[in-house]
Amino acid sequence: MKYESNDNGNGESNLSTTLRSIRLGTGRAGGSGRGVGGSLQPSAFRIHNFAFILLFAMLLAAPGGCSNDPYPSPGGKKVIYAALGEDPHGLDPAQIGDTLSGAVAAQIYDALYEYHYLKRNPYELKPALAAAMPSVSEDRLTYTIPIKRGVYFQDDPCFKGGKGREVTAEDFVYSIKRLADVANKPRGWWLLEGKVVGLDEFHQRSVDLLKEEERMDYESPVEGLKALDRYTLQIRLKEPYPQLKYVLAMTYTAATPREAVDKYKDEFQNHPVGTGPFRLAEWSKRWRLILERNPTYRDEYYPAEGAPGDREAGLLDAAGKKLPMVDEVYYTIMYEAQPAWLYFKQGYRDVSGISKDNFQEAITPNKELTGEFERMGVKLIKQVESDVYYIGFNMRDPVVGASKKLRQAMSLAFDTPWRIEHFMNGRGVSAQGPVPPGIFGYDPAYKNPYKGPDLEKARRLLAEAGYPGGIGEDGKRLEINYDIGSAGPGAVQRARAFQNEMDEIGIKVNVKTNTWAEFLRKTDKGALQVFRLGWVLDYPDPQNFLQLFYGANKAPGPNNTLYDNPEYNALYEKMKSMEDNPERLRIIRKMVGILVEDAVWIPGTHSVSYILKHQWVRNFKPHGITGGYLKYRDVDVELRRRLRRQWNRPNYTALGGILVAFIAAPIFLTFLGKRIGRRA
Amino acid sequence: MTAYIIRRALYTIPLVIGVCLITFLLFEVLYSPELRARRELGRHADKKQIQEIIEREGWDKPLFFNRQAPGFAKVRDTRFADHMTRLLTFHFGRSEKTHEDIGRKIRRGMVPSLTLTVPIFALGLVVSICLSLAVAFFRGTYLDLWVVVICVAFMSVSVLVYILGGQFLLAQHLKLFPIYGYARGINSAKFLLLPVLIALLKGLGGDVRFYRTIFLEQINQDYVRTARAKGLAEHVILLKHVLKNSMIPILTRTVLAIPFLFMGSLLLERFFGIPGLGNMTIEAVESADFKVLSAMVYIGALLFAAGNLATDISYTLVDPRIRFR
Repeated sequence: MKYESNDNGNGESNLSTTLRSIRLGTGRAGGSGRGVGGSLQPSAFRIHNFAFILLFAMLLAAPGGCSNDPYPSPGGKKVIYAALGEDPHGLDPAQIGDTLSGAVAAQIYDALYEYHYLKRNPYELKPALAAAMPSVSEDRLTYTIPIKRGVYFQDDPCFKGGKGREVTAEDFVYSIKRLADVANKPRGWWLLEGKVVGLDEFHQRSVDLLKEEERMDYESPVEGLKALDRYTLQIRLKEPYPQLKYVLAMTYTAATPREAVDKYKDEFQNHPVGTGPFRLAEWSKRWRLILERNPTYRDEYYPAEGAPGDREAGLLDAAGKKLPMVDEVYYTIMYEAQPAWLYFKQGYRDVSGISKDNFQEAITPNKELTGEFERMGVKLIKQVESDVYYIGFNMRDPVVGASKKLRQAMSLAFDTPWRIEHFMNGRGVSAQGPVPPGIFGYDPAYKNPYKGPDLEKARRLLAEAGYPGGIGEDGKRLEINYDIGSAGPGAVQRARAFQNEMDEIGIKVNVKTNTWAEFLRKTDKGALQVFRLGWVLDYPDPQNFLQLFYGANKAPGPNNTLYDNPEYNALYEKMKSMEDNPERLRIIRKMVGILVEDAVWIPGTHSVSYILKHQWVRNFKPHGITGGYLKYRDVDVELRRRLRRQWNRPNYTALGGILVAFIAAPIFLTFLGKRIGRRA
Repeated sequence: MTAYIIRRALYTIPLVIGVCLITFLLFEVLYSPELRARRELGRHADKKQIQEIIEREGWDKPLFFNRQAPGFAKVRDTRFADHMTRLLTFHFGRSEKTHEDIGRKIRRGMVPSLTLTVPIFALGLVVSICLSLAVAFFRGTYLDLWVVVICVAFMSVSVLVYILGGQFLLAQHLKLFPIYGYARGINSAKFLLLPVLIALLKGLGGDVRFYRTIFLEQINQDYVRTARAKGLAEHVILLKHVLKNSMIPILTRTVLAIPFLFMGSLLLERFFGIPGLGNMTIEAVESADFKVLSAMVYIGALLFAAGNLATDISYTLVDPRIRFR
């Protein structure tokens, strides 16, 4: 997935600590108002006093007695409280292309495989609706996948008698066909395009049929996609595609019941029917989305093993318990970062990220929690993400594309550590190549020889490239166009930094801001010279990153730099269909070496997420890949209730003080005015 | 009167066509079909899929005049005609972002909007008229001075300051209100109190100043002097005579606002998380959801026309001297 920016730059906030409160009757505040108000005419006093009491009553009437708790009473239910930055765009598995919608849908839908909740480096797949990992034929073209027996769709009126029916291999055939049917506006088709025998023909037929405004016939067979029997799925490939297993773990290929699609039609995206641990209970747009426990969820238990350190962190305490651990997930839709942050501070959200405006409030310069949050018992979790942000060069460009030394020089003038500190609050790792941490082929010891800042070497290479001091053969200063896909302050500040860095070695940079849509159009046309972009993994395979340089993927494909190197292409073709083994590792290292030497990118950063969690949250471990992980999470309801009450006592004293000051100030000023008038 | 209403309704036709044209030019022409298709299909869409969706949505049709089509279809088979049809028949289609039916989206969003705007409107009207009557009664005293000073001070500060300040002080530090959120029915009161209070304080200044001026103007009229000479109490004069005679300007100011209550409040809904139409409009702006936006602009224009008409009619109800012609 292409990303514009990882704006989590710095910012300040001076929100201070919570006030402790003391209750005070309203009588005294009212009395003091009367005492001072005596100087006015009698009738004036009456109205004045009336207005005052009215205002006061308005302020107190509703909140007095009840708290600032924004939620309805949960009864005896265990609830996870979370926030979403916007409504999901829809919950049809075939159409979900963004992480936010994907994270919600993954709680409702199950695919054949899922990622192990705790294991890392590498991420590990395990069967979800499949009964075992696929058995792959000798030629690596035929995948046979056994399906779990006794798994039922959630109860829904679309089924006969309202009871969910059993999931069979046919459901996966149907779901994958849906992904190939253009009428569904599928966003995940690219993952299977050109891979499965007969599926491309099915796709093409759906395109033709749509022109005649007819619907696709899902009974028409696809050669490479078959249910051998009720519980066995067979997929036949045109070429080896080891990434298929990751595709079968994505929500795109989740088991989708045909009954629901046929019944709800256009409304299916608002009416998900899955097999997952939760089902949709309510979705009020722009307000809240509530998931409730799926009572017919299959028997699924908390894992008994994890990554090193998980046992010490208490992440295995729940081993063997039945999932899901909670009864309900209550998402509030919160567009603005500030209220979401305040929700967390008041204990009304369980887990939170840190926006740049609140960073200094929560994190000290040593990258630890501030005292305020320590006292609240909040825990800070740091997570290195599998993404990469970079400066790309257009390899077809007559200036930057033509000179390797020029690109190397620019790379050496680029100051990553400074950027991590100033734009990311230190939340970043300097990238040495395109493959991020957590992915096979990442080498923590590897140092890119062209990563700066090394201005001396940069100037030398620039001179060797034919631009001594930045002056070309024609005697003119070298000018570069630098495009960014946003006009936001963060993006512009970064661009200014790039301008300054290049200015140090004598290159003049013209910054061009674009809307994201404009920027995409320009990349597709190959009309950019130098640009900033990011890539966030679709699946944890280095191929997902190395494809960005493959000649045949040139824009409008994902290769935005238009890099086309026969040696690299040959290695890529070999590497992409290999299983993870030492041979593959060797090839990947070689490919990265070629890319670094050619300086196709200035690799920038891999981001590090800082996540805060309250002490009542149990079994929480962030995962780099979107999935249905809320079933593992637990909360200590009693502790949460106690702390919320302690943190949210209303402060009526201060309110009284403010009101008294508000009324008293004009009266005082009036007195003062009169006395001064008398003296004069 | 019926003839008058019909005539006024006919006047709205050019207005509606104008609004359709402007929204069309703003939203449909400037944004290329390819970009819209791309958003619909996501990052990995290929050229074939994009072309296909453009054809299906009719985004490749000519804008105003279709040379190839026969006869009447020359005008009918165009993007402008499609746009007009959508708006005029109130079949707004589906949102480009969330694929919801826009008509239903609007009907559902109206309730939260009304629970916010109706209290603001009603309380605002009562409080500002009472307050301005009071300051008219005490004209020239310190009470008059301070009420006007405070009202103007409230009026002069941006509403964003109240929102953030209110959330910071009253909701976060004093913990009197929830910071954000909404509930159905009577439970919504605790969420609405703070935004209503803020809107009241913000709106009071302009209203009180305006009504005070009107009342003072009336107080200097001959009929008030006559009433005083008859020995009527001052409060009777104010409530019975002055208030009645000030109805025309008050109505001009208020009746026109009534239809817009349905549209909600952009900022308050956004910052306090009230899932109404104001919030929906901002969401549509952010995601460049042109179908939703043009529907909202169109409905806004219709409501404006309705408000104007209602104002004119209300004049005849309070002032028998005014006749329809």
